[in-house]
Amino acid sequence: MKVFSEKNLGIISNIELKQTKYKILYWSIFTILVFISIISFLPSIWVLLSGFKDAKEIYRIPSSFFPKEIRLSKLVEVWKLLNFTQSYIATFMITIGDLIFCLTFPALGGYVLSKLKPRGTKLIMTLLLWTMMMPGQIRTVPLFMIFNRFPIFHFSLLDTYWPLWMMAGANIFDTLLFKSFFDSIPFSYIEAARIDGCSDVKTFAKIILPLAKPVIIVVSIFSVNNSWSSFLWPLLILKTERLIPITVKIFRMTNEYQLDHYMLALIFSIIPPVIIYLIFQNQILGGISLGGIKG
Amino acid sequence: MSIYLSFFNLKGYTPQSFIGLKNYINVLSDTLFPKILLNTIKYVLWSLVLGYFLPVIVAIMINEMVHFKTGFKFCIYFPAILPGIAVSLMWYLIYFPDGGGLLNMLLQMIGLPPQEWLQNTKWAIPLLVISMTWKGMPASMLIYLASLQGINQELYEAAIIDGAGILKRIRTITIPQISGVMLLLLIKQIISVFQVLEQPMAMTSGGPNNATITLSYLAYKEGFEYFRVGPAMAIGNILFVILIVFTSFYFYISRKVDERL
Repeated sequence: MKVFSEKNLGIISNIELKQTKYKILYWSIFTILVFISIISFLPSIWVLLSGFKDAKEIYRIPSSFFPKEIRLSKLVEVWKLLNFTQSYIATFMITIGDLIFCLTFPALGGYVLSKLKPRGTKLIMTLLLWTMMMPGQIRTVPLFMIFNRFPIFHFSLLDTYWPLWMMAGANIFDTLLFKSFFDSIPFSYIEAARIDGCSDVKTFAKIILPLAKPVIIVVSIFSVNNSWSSFLWPLLILKTERLIPITVKIFRMTNEYQLDHYMLALIFSIIPPVIIYLIFQNQILGGISLGGIKG
Repeated sequence: MSIYLSFFNLKGYTPQSFIGLKNYINVLSDTLFPKILLNTIKYVLWSLVLGYFLPVIVAIMINEMVHFKTGFKFCIYFPAILPGIAVSLMWYLIYFPDGGGLLNMLLQMIGLPPQEWLQNTKWAIPLLVISMTWKGMPASMLIYLASLQGINQELYEAAIIDGAGILKRIRTITIPQISGVMLLLLIKQIISVFQVLEQPMAMTSGGPNNATITLSYLAYKEGFEYFRVGPAMAIGNILFVILIVFTSFYFYISRKVDERL
């Protein structure tokens, strides 16, 4: 247990905390925060617990928070019934493709904008910034038309993952994140590599990428989380049942299944992000502030 | 491209003939349009009332903690990592009209009859905004927390020596120090709430009686449910014109804040 004297940040000072008045204030803030934390978790836990109830038990009056029994085999039954293996595979496909695209193109683009600086970099930067701030709504229909009849080649990209992957590749925020990170790498590294006879590509792969590891990790985590949560575009583009990811699946399920099955399906859809959160919590909690304000 | 095509009469997704501003006139003269614009503004206002100051307050409170600080951060940030659509559906279940919903369950525990939540025209928007706040608040909280940690501790020490109380310290030091970030996030919130689409789509599908439909949702419906692409793009462009004002302002403020840092 930490003690108050360690406190060196914030509005209330550590000396004041020796007085009873401030101690009461401190602990009441503490209680409020505990309360907020509970609210943050409560819905998910409630959905999980209610998923274990059977249909009758959910509607019973008076209802209770906890189910009569927690039968873990029910998880497996519902998983099989709703064919979640398929949608997990579909979502993984989207996620992995997104990850590859959203590391390759933004990293290269950021490198070009930061270090190679061809003519017109400033103009491109301004355009990028403005595009980023444009509402997504204005792009939806024209983009859909492009994917429906891809220019030059004239074939439809609907019902494939390519549109999703391409859009993940065209991630301006990540590009700017990479750019601002590459800006902090001194130019002398690159000059040294050039003197040693490295080509531009080789410099990028051997010198820059290893240095950019922290950014790559943060971008990857957020990319995975975003693709797992992406909803609108998969809904528009994918029609075949086999291809649709989990988010679209649970959206289409509304009113079609028993409530308890539905609740467990919701839980299945949030498990992977929760696992990622548990593993990478430090990067996630720190990474937002890394690029946060510019978002 | 969207602006160009919105001047055409489209059949399916192929432009047929130039019809000038007709798409816009059709959209604007629709009797529903003023109502929907008002709905969208209602969303923004409610989200500012419910969700704008909350992250500031929570961030200040967490910043004061010595015990369990990372734990609180971890717990409170949890909703932000859940998929948006899963969150909406989860809250749809919480607001479930009969005994199955969590809110009605809690009401029953204290002996009140179950209520209709999302079916109530008056309360549907605030309830949707609560679920949006639940999901969106942690991200802004983290940004505030980062900027709170950047405040020079000596300022507080000086204030204490001058005998300023806690409220006065918040008003005269904390708020001015983070006001730049607060302004940025204010505009960002307005921009993002103006485009709200997923939540009404998943939770109410625009109902009851079109009380929760938004501009974005209308554009989506026109474009992908009724396949009237022209009007859909016209709505998108109207939205764009509204938001461009906020966006320019955002850039202006952002530059100001950057200069000060």
